[in-house]
Amino acid sequence: MIDLFVMVSGPRMQALSTAGQAAPPVQTARGLIDTGASCTCVDPMIFTALGLQPTGMGTMLTPSTGPVPQDTETYDVGILIPNGQETPLIFPTLAVSASELFVGQGFHALIGRDILAKCILFYNGKLPFFTVSY
Amino acid sequence: MALEKEMATYHAKLPELKEHEGKYVLIHDDQIVDFFAAYEDAIKAGYQQFQLGPFLVKRVSAIETVQHITRNILPYSSARTA
Repeated sequence: MIDLFVMVSGPRMQALSTAGQAAPPVQTARGLIDTGASCTCVDPMIFTALGLQPTGMGTMLTPSTGPVPQDTETYDVGILIPNGQETPLIFPTLAVSASELFVGQGFHALIGRDILAKCILFYNGKLPFFTVSY
Repeated sequence: MALEKEMATYHAKLPELKEHEGKYVLIHDDQIVDFFAAYEDAIKAGYQQFQLGPFLVKRVSAIETVQHITRNILPYSSARTA
């Protein structure tokens, strides 16, 4: 698990500024690194807190959907993964899918292979610890 | 449902979009607005032209890319929860 910050995307922030509106507060989220997820998924409560409307639609297969892919809304967001005093990993404009059944499992997001493609993930099961470097 | 009209436009126009396979199309209502090589450019254009109103950015693909998630989660669509 890692902490991440979810915020409105850069272009949306500019649009809000042009409209004379303040950007909503950055949302802190608990994310589960999931190499079994082809894309990053976030609980809809985060998008609601950011006042977002979907800007995309995709399809998704999960154990809950059975064999028929289901439509899922996607949202443009900015994501920042902090790294202590070091440079954070930043995605200023990323399409993330909306998915439910996270919060009951103790996290708000799945960090999928779209983000992990920018990283090196090392998992030592014996110690146990993992590192995500970028 | 959010973006219902835009998705209908995408599906109706898809046969004409073949030459733009892999690019990101910006759609508003029943209009194909433009095509972009990068997702961020399409999103930027969408907010510049439509401000905080609805628009769709979708990667043009003759065969829809399906995201695969091994965790037991439920894809969210406001149409299903309305």
